[in-house]
Amino acid sequence: MRNTVSLDKTVAEKKMLKPAAAKKPAVKKNTGEITLAQLESTESVAGQVNTADVLIIGAGFAGLGTAIRLQQAGVKNIVILERSTDVGGTWRDNTYPGAACDIPSNLYSYSFAQNPDWSRSFSGSGEILDYIHHLVEQFRLRPLIRFQRNVTGLVFDENTGEWNATTACGEQYRARAAVMASGPLSNASFPNMPGIETFKGHKIHSAKWDHSYDFTGKRVAVIGTGASGIQIIPELAKQAEFVKVFQRTPGWVLPRPDFVTPEWNKNLFHKMPAAQTALRRALFWGHESMALGIIWHSPLTALVEQVARSHLHAQVKDPWLRRQLTPDFRIGCKRVLISNDYYPALQKPNCKLITWPIATLCENGIRTAEGIEHQFDCIVFATGFDVCKNGSPLPVTGVNGRQLGEEWKRGAQAYKSISVAGYPNLFFTFGPNSGPGHNSALVYMESQIDYSVQGIKTILQRNLKLLDVKADVQQRYNHAIQKRLAKTNWNSGCKSWYLSEDGFNSTMYPGFATQYANQMKHFNLDHYRAINA
Amino acid sequence: MAMIDLDKMLVKIKNSQWALADIDWDAPGAELITEEQWPKLKEFMADLMWIEHVGARGFAALAKKAPNDTLKEIYTYFHAEEQRHANAEMALMRRWGMLDGDEIPEPNINLRLVIEWLDKYSDDMPLETLGSVIPMLEIALDGALCKFLLDSVKDPVCHQAFDKINDDESRHLGVGFTVLEMQGHGKLYQLVLKAMGTLMRPTLILGILSYLPLLNRMRDNIVEMGLKEESLYAAMKKFETIGGRTEHGRRNPWYQIISRHGRIVVDRRNRFYHVPVDAAVKLTNYIPPSILPPIPTWVKELTWKPTA
Ligand SMILES: Cc1cc2nc3c(=O)[nH]c(=O)nc-3n(C[C@H](O)[C@H](O)[C@H](O)COP(=O)(O)OP(=O)(O)OC[C@H]3O[C@@H](n4cnc5c(N)ncnc54)[C@H](O)[C@@H]3O)c2cc1C
Ligand SMILES: [Fe+2]
Ligand SMILES: [Fe+2]
Repeated sequence: MRNTVSLDKTVAEKKMLKPAAAKKPAVKKNTGEITLAQLESTESVAGQVNTADVLIIGAGFAGLGTAIRLQQAGVKNIVILERSTDVGGTWRDNTYPGAACDIPSNLYSYSFAQNPDWSRSFSGSGEILDYIHHLVEQFRLRPLIRFQRNVTGLVFDENTGEWNATTACGEQYRARAAVMASGPLSNASFPNMPGIETFKGHKIHSAKWDHSYDFTGKRVAVIGTGASGIQIIPELAKQAEFVKVFQRTPGWVLPRPDFVTPEWNKNLFHKMPAAQTALRRALFWGHESMALGIIWHSPLTALVEQVARSHLHAQVKDPWLRRQLTPDFRIGCKRVLISNDYYPALQKPNCKLITWPIATLCENGIRTAEGIEHQFDCIVFATGFDVCKNGSPLPVTGVNGRQLGEEWKRGAQAYKSISVAGYPNLFFTFGPNSGPGHNSALVYMESQIDYSVQGIKTILQRNLKLLDVKADVQQRYNHAIQKRLAKTNWNSGCKSWYLSEDGFNSTMYPGFATQYANQMKHFNLDHYRAINA
Repeated sequence: MAMIDLDKMLVKIKNSQWALADIDWDAPGAELITEEQWPKLKEFMADLMWIEHVGARGFAALAKKAPNDTLKEIYTYFHAEEQRHANAEMALMRRWGMLDGDEIPEPNINLRLVIEWLDKYSDDMPLETLGSVIPMLEIALDGALCKFLLDSVKDPVCHQAFDKINDDESRHLGVGFTVLEMQGHGKLYQLVLKAMGTLMRPTLILGILSYLPLLNRMRDNIVEMGLKEESLYAAMKKFETIGGRTEHGRRNPWYQIISRHGRIVVDRRNRFYHVPVDAAVKLTNYIPPSILPPIPTWVKELTWKPTA
């Protein structure tokens, strides 16, 4: 990265952002109350154009991190569009009981904003959200964020070299560069299960938890035993009258070295940040070494599987239950689960694992294929997210009217996961083939952010109209990626959300985080087509 | 039966699910069971329900062995469907006052041995073996037992339940024979060699040893109830005919072994076979249940209650 950043003054000044709040038309409403949403959404007038240097879509870890690093690099004219009323993305939405990260907090945080106060090795969702709020305050990001702006379309204007974002309330935002930080797992909906609309009881999705619902004495179903499910189940089993867990495929579960951070440790980190950096590095390399077992089929794979099997053996005595919980795919093929209390919870007297296929949901509960109707007061859907493996997260129109959704229909592709040919001046966080299977998402994110910052600075400093990755460069990159993916465990034959319906892997990065970081370190202008404004 | 499209079959299976709650188990008609019928019917139903349950466990083992995701999912459904049949048959038994409170019927000693074997070894059996034995059991059920039951029992609820059960069974047979044929592909001598290898596995021999007396005992129970031996013979014939309709079906050594064996089981004149096996039935009667390990937990999942 270049050390000094001198923004093109004329550009920066010309594109001053007009504060949206300046115009505040009277809100007229003859019936009902005026919600906050209505108030805010009418703050700027439909059709009005707001301009900035950089538009960031999404105020989760990625969007906020990008804003921080851009500011530190001297790019200040930033607008963050966020569809919700708060920052935090994943950690704003996933507040279900037991929600926590499964990468140690010291690694699941930004290296440029370490937190000495993590209360435990794997922090809960609330504490992670606090950390994100803290980032927003510390780096004064709030003024940059426009809440309740759901971006419905992004169009590139070749004449001016600007991206034009339209929001659901009809506003327009224009900027020289755009960062798509809308999150890999940010859209959750009830699954399309037969009979779901007939169920008369209460339905809760793990990513939209209903905190007003009291589980005490309730008969509860949990559908899904992925990362969220296994965190929810032990908590619900403490409260509900009974919990029946509906599992389609069991995952590999590794023990979780969770502990409370002692006070002296926090003090140490406060006084000596280097100690925390050292721990972070140790954690990083610990996770990196897991890649050998998890990403590729190696002797370490068998070893990690053996650890998981021993964990199961130690925690579950009944052979049939153990059989039901034993995965029949290679470890790493799907997300590896981490838990100490999931297996014990399943064996509580008020908890039961059900592996019969679900035939249909009905008025009173769930009918499974063994012919029995299981009746419930509440069904919890821990069924994951709508991951867009085919198509783009929102309609994006590039040069010559090309549609990203169309081009990605048969599997998303990008250059280094971040740039897409034909869509200049646009940067993706968590783009195609950037997913980590074994390490913290934030480690990957930091590399992406710093790469975007280099790209954006190049556009602004050189006053470029267009900075577009070359199609052949992108093609070569993807050819290599797919060749490497073919040798990974993800492509070893199990169905997972990593793969599209026809088995194409456009989500995961086939390598070490270190490799990924190295490839992102250098912004090679030769790989791009640059056109001056 | 020609080879079927397994993907289409899976969709059909998903669309054909039913539940015990679809049937009114208290509807009139239970009184149509005659007093004379009752004790034998009780035995018969208990056997039938246990065969379904044992079949269910067989499908669970097959699901682990399936060569592709579709077949795996199909077997997962079949596992559940056989359990559903067992559950529905228990609901009938309960309707007819044949259950002791909430108790599931006591499995006889030969069943216990088979359950024990399934629990320990079935997951290690190759697909061809179980995949060939199961269609034979299914056809015996479908062709002989169920037909006989419906001929002799007038209760409409019983007919209602078996309409649904038989509908499921027709799909099981379709898949069963397709897999039987799939397994008949490849070089004949290789197929035979592999079958021989499996046959000589001590675990399979143990399985056969527990399975043969069970068949004879059931045959005796069924004949006792009035089923003609000829209809059992006809059912075996059906397995031979359908399984042997294509070249590949016939080339499957397991098809050959099982169809020949089926013929022997129903032919009581074959004293070389029946004298020792019948003796084994008697012998197993002397096994004290206490020396057997506890009943595996999968057996305890059986229930006659439509809702839980
Ligand atoms: C339950 C759960 C646990 C996880 N645990 C871990 C973990 O332990 N370790 C790990 O490495 N990763 C974990 N992850 C992955 C996690 O998603 C990432 O680590 C990270 O939080 C993603 O951040 P993000 O900013 O990219 O996306 P998000 O946090 O999803 O933020 C995206 C933001 O964009 C907004 N947005 C989306 N579309 C639009 C639109 N059209 N217009 C305007 N705004 C929009 C959303 O509202 C959201 O605020 C977990 C994910 C989940 C769901
Ligand atoms: Fe059956
Ligand atoms: Fe069957």
